[in-house]
Amino acid sequence: MTFAERMLKIDRRIIFLVIGFCTLLPLLYPVGLPIKISPEVRGVYDYIESLPEGSVFLLSLDFDPASKPELHPQAISLLRHAFRKNLRVIAMTLWVSGTGMADQVVTQVAREMGKESGKDYVFLGWSPGGTAVIINMGQDLYGAFPADYNGKPTKGLPVLQGIASLRDVSYAVSLGAGNPGVEAWYVFGKDKYQFELGGGCTGVMAPGLYPLLRSGQINGLIGGLRGAAEYETLIGQKGKAIAGMDAQSATHLAIIVLVIICNLFYFSLRKQAKQQGHSGA
Amino acid sequence: MIFLRRQVPLLITLITGIVFAAQYYVPHPASEQMLTSVTKWLQIIGGFALVLGVSSLFHVHAIKIRRKEAGWGYSFVLYVSMLGTIAVGLWSNGKEAVDGTMTAFGWIYNFMMVPLQGTMFAILAFFIASAAYRSFRARSREAAVLLIAAVIVMMGRVPLGEYLIPLSGDISQWILNVLNASVRRAILIGVSLGTVALSIKIIFGMERSYLGGGKE
Repeated sequence: MTFAERMLKIDRRIIFLVIGFCTLLPLLYPVGLPIKISPEVRGVYDYIESLPEGSVFLLSLDFDPASKPELHPQAISLLRHAFRKNLRVIAMTLWVSGTGMADQVVTQVAREMGKESGKDYVFLGWSPGGTAVIINMGQDLYGAFPADYNGKPTKGLPVLQGIASLRDVSYAVSLGAGNPGVEAWYVFGKDKYQFELGGGCTGVMAPGLYPLLRSGQINGLIGGLRGAAEYETLIGQKGKAIAGMDAQSATHLAIIVLVIICNLFYFSLRKQAKQQGHSGA
Repeated sequence: MIFLRRQVPLLITLITGIVFAAQYYVPHPASEQMLTSVTKWLQIIGGFALVLGVSSLFHVHAIKIRRKEAGWGYSFVLYVSMLGTIAVGLWSNGKEAVDGTMTAFGWIYNFMMVPLQGTMFAILAFFIASAAYRSFRARSREAAVLLIAAVIVMMGRVPLGEYLIPLSGDISQWILNVLNASVRRAILIGVSLGTVALSIKIIFGMERSYLGGGKE
């Protein structure tokens, strides 16, 4: 077996080790490279920034713990921004397995910003039905969620004053890790009930949502950890996303180097095979 | 019996299909009220579907355990975990925290489910790196184009890439906004047209596989 052949069949545990180091080292020794803001993330930021105080901001945390590293920092940044702007925040989830996590993040950021449940924000929790919940909220918010996550009746909550349905929402952002997520909020929500919609998603999902972005169906998109880091930069509060960007930089670079090496060996093997074929003939 | 098994579901599908397709274009209060009621039914049905899913899962794994099929031990773990979580969840009234204090259900959620799901997702990075090394080869011109595009996007999406090759950010943005978006849109339009065609076939009874098999 030649060297190139051996290298192409390298033990995958070595690759795992390389990726492990590339993730760990930058987390221990961060470099802090500057992060450029993309127009899609700025779209979400600018829209929230343009909302007058007391506007209704709906945040749907449509993800489960598997996507926590990417979407949790996005949720924290958006909530901090909305609370800082004194918007009325309605938080909820369409993913039952994400309910506890969503409650924790909303409560944690609200406490940090000195906001009061029921008065400044409400966490509605989860309701069965998936996309039907969106339609139901569009028809009658109190029918979809008669009580909030803590069991308080939603009717009469100061934060929901003057809100009957999704038509009264100034801006909604869905942080989606799949279905139901951003697309469902557009198809079943924005299209019919006419509110402005932004999106956040995992890195792998982002390319799939660009058609919605380009056509104006969503006015902004926060994609993956990079998007979260951009949002943290915009609101001027460094968090886990900015801390994780160095690790992501290193792992991306490691994968690129690995792909280049593998192609070099692959072409050297092909050249060898061609030469052997010529000499054989 | 055939009438109840075939004709009635087909009739319900035909009527509701046509009525709710038309409802979208009728903003009359009566039409809106009808949609409100039906979405409530949908939510209730969604709740039942959850019960159905859980009972089906129990049933499938019970058979595996009874027959001692390969991997029945995992089914046993699933049974114990599910029953344990349901019991603790009911005991904690479905709450992860009460007045800021974590309940037993919250403990299961925070210290078992969150790290387990996080781990499953995190190991993906390792497998992607290994798979990229083994299979991302420029075997043809098309593969080479894909490879170059992937490298540019990977560079352009991280600060280090933009620092090393400043143009990579703009090029990756162009790839995502123009090439990727147009191809995705073409796929979306194709899928949507297919969905419309399938919906029409279901509404008019041409597609009946949703009725299931069984004796007529």
